[in-house]
Amino acid sequence: MLRKLRPASGQRTLRLRQQLGIALLAIGGLLLTPMAAYAQSPSPGSTPSVQSVQPNNGAKPNASPQSPAPAPSAPNTGYVPDLPGSAAGRLRVKVIDGRTRKPLQGAEVVVIETEKRYKTDKDGLTPWIKAPVLRSARYRFLVNELHGQLNLISYKDGYRDSVHMGVRVNEGAVTKTTIWQYKILPGPDTRVEPVLYQEPYHRLWIIQLADRFRRPSQLGEGYERP
Amino acid sequence: MRIPLRHTLALPPLFALVLGLCITSTPVPAHAQTAYYLGAAGFPSTIRVAIRENNASGEPDPRGRIIFVSTVNFDDYCRCVLPNEWYPAWRPASLEAGAIAVKMFAWYHQLHPVTVDGFTFDVDNTVNFQTYRAESYQDSTDQAYYTTRNLAYVKPDKEIFELNYRAGYQNQPNWQYRNAQKMAQWGTEYLAEQGKTPLEILEFYYTGRMLTSIPGVGRS
Repeated sequence: MLRKLRPASGQRTLRLRQQLGIALLAIGGLLLTPMAAYAQSPSPGSTPSVQSVQPNNGAKPNASPQSPAPAPSAPNTGYVPDLPGSAAGRLRVKVIDGRTRKPLQGAEVVVIETEKRYKTDKDGLTPWIKAPVLRSARYRFLVNELHGQLNLISYKDGYRDSVHMGVRVNEGAVTKTTIWQYKILPGPDTRVEPVLYQEPYHRLWIIQLADRFRRPSQLGEGYERP
Repeated sequence: MRIPLRHTLALPPLFALVLGLCITSTPVPAHAQTAYYLGAAGFPSTIRVAIRENNASGEPDPRGRIIFVSTVNFDDYCRCVLPNEWYPAWRPASLEAGAIAVKMFAWYHQLHPVTVDGFTFDVDNTVNFQTYRAESYQDSTDQAYYTTRNLAYVKPDKEIFELNYRAGYQNQPNWQYRNAQKMAQWGTEYLAEQGKTPLEILEFYYTGRMLTSIPGVGRS
């Protein structure tokens, strides 16, 4: 009885092993496909994501009628610059010469949070920008910020880079901001570094924040009063 | 201990002398008695803004040294104060009440300049007067300013007076500010949310005043 059963059980085991092998091959194939695709994509951070403006670094385009170059694809950083679902306002940036206060044409403004780039026109203005309202999570459960904040960088040949942080943005509201850039002068400017401007929080929120944590036993300047 | 009678008789004149010294040593501004009236005082074209030095964090310091005095177009000054004092995303009625307050505050001080550390100016760029940041104007606050540019809120005899304000508290009319005859900024937004007009908001905080048009001044 046992001898009769052995071959049958051996065949079943063999069939199970074959099925298991096929399943493993299928799983391996599924795993390898995205990895191969990832290996073909450029490494994260190697090329900036360019949405509105293609930066011209002086290199000639590699284009021939026989072999058209493939369009450069954005790197897969896992970061979604459009921030779907987040509320947005509208932002327009003006870039001016910090000394003459005249508009600067052709400056490139980068919104750091969205990684998008915009060129200024003859009036020093960027196009209207869809600006996500990003409030700092640090304060969310304590005193919600009155406004979101965005950070910008402006580049212009012959000028110091200008980093402009903390631009106030609100849902559905229009915001304008001005970036001041300073011309690099051959004489005095021996050490050239970016200029930082930190836009302050609105004073109404600062007052709220200070009052929020004030102890009645240690009043400091006291609660806001007429 | 008993004080001799002659000593007690000497006390009232001594007290009067001390009181007199106190009164005479109190600085009296030269403009304390000067009143300016709408019509006689023309609408300002410029205002002198003292720029104070920044603190280590890069913010203008209300107690900082005055670096220079900048002569600024009056309209531009008001446009660059309003978004830093009122919140640009607030309702139009709140912003319009704020625009009138900012303008009347500036106008009053333009008529009453001060001299500090050798600099003569009308206002400075800090909360000593009103928070001013060049080029910081916004669309919503610009609209509020130009909508109310031709309006003044003055005493019944048209005397130009300082419309003062403070932050106040959120989600309430801030009655205590009304009692102090100061506008509560959060209160303006609360009242605007209740459907009040800019005039009703002004009347709530500053009693016994009137809204009138400025002769020869338009909305642009």
